[in-house]
Amino acid sequence: MATDTLVTISLPKEKQSALDRFLAKGFPTNKWEEWKYTSLKSLNDTEWHWNTSEEASLGAILPVETACTLHTNNGKMTLEGTLPTGVSYLDFASFVNQNPDFANVFAKRNPILDQNSLYDLNDALASSHQVIWVKKGVQVELPILHTYFANVSISSAIQIKLLIYLEEGAQLTWIDDLASSGDSQSILSNYVQEIWVAKAAHLTFVKTQDFGQTTTHIDHTFIHQEDHSVVDMFTFSLNGGLIRNNLHFYVDGQQVVSNLNGLYVPGNDQLVDSHTVVDHRMPNSESNELYKGVLLGNSIGVFNGKIFVRPDAQKTNAFQSCKNVLASDKATMNTKPQLEIWADDVKCSHGTTTGQLSDEALFYMRSRGISADAAKTLLMLAFVQQVIDKVEIPALKESISNRVVAKIQQALGV
Amino acid sequence: MLSIANLHARIGEKEILRGINLEVKAGEVHAIMGPNGSGKSTLASVLAGREDYEVTDGSVSFFGKDLLDLAPEERAAEGVFLAFQYPVEIPGVSTTNFMKSAVNEIRKYRGEEPLDAVQFLKMFKEKMAYVNIDQSLLSRSLNEGFSGGEKKRNEIFQMAVLAPKLAILDETDSGLDIDALRIVAEGVNKLKSPDNATIVVTHYQRLLDYIVPDFVHVLYKGRIVKSGTKELALELEEKGYDWIISALVD
Repeated sequence: MATDTLVTISLPKEKQSALDRFLAKGFPTNKWEEWKYTSLKSLNDTEWHWNTSEEASLGAILPVETACTLHTNNGKMTLEGTLPTGVSYLDFASFVNQNPDFANVFAKRNPILDQNSLYDLNDALASSHQVIWVKKGVQVELPILHTYFANVSISSAIQIKLLIYLEEGAQLTWIDDLASSGDSQSILSNYVQEIWVAKAAHLTFVKTQDFGQTTTHIDHTFIHQEDHSVVDMFTFSLNGGLIRNNLHFYVDGQQVVSNLNGLYVPGNDQLVDSHTVVDHRMPNSESNELYKGVLLGNSIGVFNGKIFVRPDAQKTNAFQSCKNVLASDKATMNTKPQLEIWADDVKCSHGTTTGQLSDEALFYMRSRGISADAAKTLLMLAFVQQVIDKVEIPALKESISNRVVAKIQQALGV
Repeated sequence: MLSIANLHARIGEKEILRGINLEVKAGEVHAIMGPNGSGKSTLASVLAGREDYEVTDGSVSFFGKDLLDLAPEERAAEGVFLAFQYPVEIPGVSTTNFMKSAVNEIRKYRGEEPLDAVQFLKMFKEKMAYVNIDQSLLSRSLNEGFSGGEKKRNEIFQMAVLAPKLAILDETDSGLDIDALRIVAEGVNKLKSPDNATIVVTHYQRLLDYIVPDFVHVLYKGRIVKSGTKELALELEEKGYDWIISALVD
C-alpha cells in the first residue's frame, strides 16, 4: 500500500493526529457517498514520495498584467516582485501572532460538510502554510497571480495550504493558475485554501486548472463571508487526469453575495468532479451558481451542488444551474442538486440539464459553408462562453477561451 | 446550372420525392408551389444536403458537379444557399461572427485569402442596406429572440453576404406581414443577376407578386405535375390546386 510509508514519517503531535485521521479513513472509494463517481482507490497502487525536494522548472506564465506573482513549484512557495501596499505575505504562525483573536476564530471554524480524508492528509503533510493578508480598506488594483506548478521525475504527492484574509472593506483579485507538466510520472496534488472575506470586502477569485494526464488534483476551497461581502468565484477545469473540486461557501453574514461560476471540459480518460456547498447561515443573502460543462471523448463529469438554508437564513435568494453538453456517445455526466431548506421565506431554484449539440443548429451552420468540426467547435464554445464572459480581465478571458477551443479541436481531431 | 433528374428521396420508410425533373439556368427564377405535404420543403432540404433524407434514385448536377456527393458545407462553398423556413436560434454566436466564420471557410475552400476585420466591416455595411437590417441585430445571438420578420431579413442578409449562384427560398413568406414581405422580396430582387438563379418554394401566390418568377411548377405527391409561366401561379391562386389534381391520371 502506498500509505504504508506514511506510518514511518515522524510528525509533531497535532500533525500526527491529522495523519492518524487520514490513515484511519484512507483514500476515498466509491463506497463513500460523496465519492460515488470519483474513487481514489487507485492512488493506493502508487509508491508516493510524500515530501519531494525536487525543483520544478517554471511553467508558462499567464499573459496578464499583475501586481506581483506568487510561485509554488512542487509545493515550494516564492514571491516574485513587490507586494502592493497594505498586503502581507507571511507564514501562518506569524499571522496568528499578529492577530491573536484569529487563532480562536480559526480553531472554531465551520466543520467540513463533506466526507473528506484528503483534507486531513493535507493538514498532516502540507509543506507550507502561508497567508496572504489584505489590510482594512485596501483596494488592490491589479490582480495577484499565483502560479502553481508541479513537475517531478518520480511519483510525488504535493500538498500546500494557503490562507487568504481580506479585512473589512478590502478588495482583491486573485488568479490561481494551477498546472503540472508531463504525462508520465504520477502527481497527487492536494491543495487547500481557506479564505476569509470580512465585512464589505470584495474578492474576485479566478482559478484555472490545466494539468497533465497523470495528475490527480484534489482542491479544497473554503470561503467564509461576513456582512455585505462579495465573492466572485470562478473555477475553470481545463485539463487533468482527475480533478475533484470541493468548493464550500459559508455565508456567515447578511447582505452577502456569493457567485460561483464553473466550467469544465474533460477529455478522453479524464474526470472532473465539482462538489459545491453553499451554506446560508444568516438572513438576507444571495448566492448564484452557474456551472457549465462540455464532455469530450469518454470523459466523466460529476456535479454535486448542495445548498443549505438554515432556519435563521430567512429572505435568502439561492440559485443554481448546471448545464452540460455531451460531445460524444461515450461521455457521461452525473448531476445531483441537493437543496436543504429549513427557512420558510426564501427564494431558491435549481436546474440541471445534460444534452447533445442540436442537429438542426449543426445543419444550419453547415448550410452556410462552415465545416462540421468548425460548427461543433463554435457551438460548444458558444455554450460555455457565458461563463468565460463573466471574467473581467480580457487577456485571461482570451487565454481560457483559446485553451477551451484547442481542447475541443484536439478531441475532434482538427 | 442545376439539373435534377428523376430524383427520389425518403425519410425513414416514407418516400417523399418520387421522380423530380427540373432544369434551372442562370438568370432564371423558378417558383415551386403545391399543397401541404407535396414535398416542396423536402426538395429544398435535399438540395441543401440535410442528412435526414435519403436519396434513393436520380441525380442532381450543379455546374456539372454531382451535388448529392457533396457535404452541406461543400454545397454552400460551390454556391448553393438555402433560406430556412424556420431559421435556427444559436445562443452565444452573433450573426457577424457566424458570417465571418462562414465567409472565411468558404474562401478557404476556394483557395482564397481570408478577409480581415476591416474588409468584413465594409462588406457587412454594404450588405446590411439590402434588407434594411440594423447593426444591433447582427451583434445579438443569431436568431435568438428575433421576430419572424427579423429572422427572415437575417436570412436574406446572409444570402447577400454569401452571394450564392443558386438561392433556394423555403417558404420565406411564412410568418411575415406585408411590410416585412416587401422588404425581404426587395432584398432578393436586388441580389438577382444574369449569373445567379433563384428557386422560390411557396404555398401562396402572394410572395410571387414581389418576386416575379419566370417559371412556376406545381409539386404534388413528390412529382412536378404541371409547369408554366407566372400566369399559372395566378390561376392557382384563383382556382386552388384541385383542378390540376383531378385532371391527373395517377
